[in-house]
Amino acid sequence: MQSPRSLIFRRRASNVISKLLGTAATLFGLSWLIWILIVTLLNGARALSPRIFTEITPPPGSDGGLANALVGSTLMSLLGVLIGAPLGIAAGTYLAEFAERRPVWRESVRFVNDILLSAPSIVLGLFVYTIYVRQVGHFSGVAGAIALGLIVLPVVVRTTDETLRLVPNMMREAALSLGIPRWKVTVQVLYRAALPGILTGVLLGLARITGETAPLLFTALNNQFWSADLNGPTASVPVVIFQFAMSPYDAWHSLAWAGAFVVTMVVLVLSVGARAYLLKNRMDENA
Amino acid sequence: MPSEATLLDPAAGEDGGALPGVAAGPARTKIVVRALDFYYRDYHALKNVNLEIPERQITAIIGPSGCGKSTLLRVFNRIYSVYAGLEATGEVLLDGENILDQGYSLNRLRTRVGMVFQKAVPFPLSVFENVAFGLRHHIKLSRGQMEDRVEKALREAALWDEVKDKLQSSGLGLSGGQQQRLCIARAVALRPQVLLLDEPTSALDPIATGRIEQLLSDLQNDYTIVIVTHNMQQAARVSTYTAYMYLGEMVEFGATAELFTRPQRRQTEDYITGRFG
Repeated sequence: MQSPRSLIFRRRASNVISKLLGTAATLFGLSWLIWILIVTLLNGARALSPRIFTEITPPPGSDGGLANALVGSTLMSLLGVLIGAPLGIAAGTYLAEFAERRPVWRESVRFVNDILLSAPSIVLGLFVYTIYVRQVGHFSGVAGAIALGLIVLPVVVRTTDETLRLVPNMMREAALSLGIPRWKVTVQVLYRAALPGILTGVLLGLARITGETAPLLFTALNNQFWSADLNGPTASVPVVIFQFAMSPYDAWHSLAWAGAFVVTMVVLVLSVGARAYLLKNRMDENA
Repeated sequence: MPSEATLLDPAAGEDGGALPGVAAGPARTKIVVRALDFYYRDYHALKNVNLEIPERQITAIIGPSGCGKSTLLRVFNRIYSVYAGLEATGEVLLDGENILDQGYSLNRLRTRVGMVFQKAVPFPLSVFENVAFGLRHHIKLSRGQMEDRVEKALREAALWDEVKDKLQSSGLGLSGGQQQRLCIARAVALRPQVLLLDEPTSALDPIATGRIEQLLSDLQNDYTIVIVTHNMQQAARVSTYTAYMYLGEMVEFGATAELFTRPQRRQTEDYITGRFG
């Protein structure tokens, strides 16, 4: 039997050691992220100029901007969300609210959705290439948006499913006990309670696809020129970064940094904004 | 969808028989439970329950945790059927009609039998919309009629004076006791004939509890009230009839005054005197 004194000492010591190890591991992980952010911010800020937003991507040896790529990225990302989010919300709602009597089926769908969630995005790009680009015969922004939509889909399915399951069962029972049918309870009561979570899922999906390169390589390809036609090859910031960063030209390198800066900032603002919004709503509820 | 008439008319109930263990009184029987069994998958939660609930009186159901009192209450509006694997057999007659019949419309049942839950769960809507929500689904009302109905329901729930200036603010912003009265207003807005309350004050402080109990005794002139409670003093204070349940069985049912002073069964006596082991 140990004396209480030495027992207390050992507990304190193990407490301090675990705290140190945990903190060190966190700092190690964070340091890479901070390093990436600092390098991107420094190089990107240096390369940033108003021309980025007004001029299109230049041929080798001359100056230009990223306007066509920014417009292409914006259009494809928004269309991607428009494709993925409604499907995802519907499927997530089905899983959380209407699949209770078929638990095996429901868990299978959740499992498959998780696989889609972690599927390599280049595989999704190749898939859309096969089923859409090959059939239509040419690369297009629409194909890119479909590939991006397939990335948004599982994110939104999961967040919708999870936030709806967080709504207390008592709220369902209270609404149903007024003699109101299930679909109306879902749309008018549960969606309202789960709205912050669902919106956050959509925003996180948007943040995720803003930086995606791989699914666009086989679908939207790229475009050196101004084009608002989503039915043809469409430029996007990530693909331009990919192409320009690998080139031997200094002007292109500089534009790649600027592009990386813009994309990083957009993703950062979307993610932080989405989470802050969710946090604020959670706190309001608990207040 | 029920017509406005069924929502507005007080029930034209059929005459029930005299209650067992109760001196013949004016009360008619509103709900008759006959040979009711209830299963959670393999678990036999209610065993051959028989009970007659009188109209426009408060009936309390008491018993230790897990005795099936909440389960019994949740049969009365079939809210249990939300979940898979739950099954009730036997008969529950509301004004002589078996509500367990698959043909008995759930919407019709739930407009007749309202429910208030243990924890107040206002919808994430304004105070006004919380009360109007059920009405909107069931009947078309003009703006003015709707405002009248909402005000009347809030008055019935003794909440009007406290919320009349903040009808448009969120129902989630009210205090716990106000939220629970909002839930009562939401239920009585549909003019149900029966009001089920599942431990409605267990999350409230004594003052809020007192207000709800006062409210219940006012409401019993218009509604048949069934209240499940852990709190025996509450049952003794508010109810006219009390049912004592244990391990899924109906042990004793009778006039509250009788049951608490001269219980017929030893088990009941042990429970109400706290000698329950």
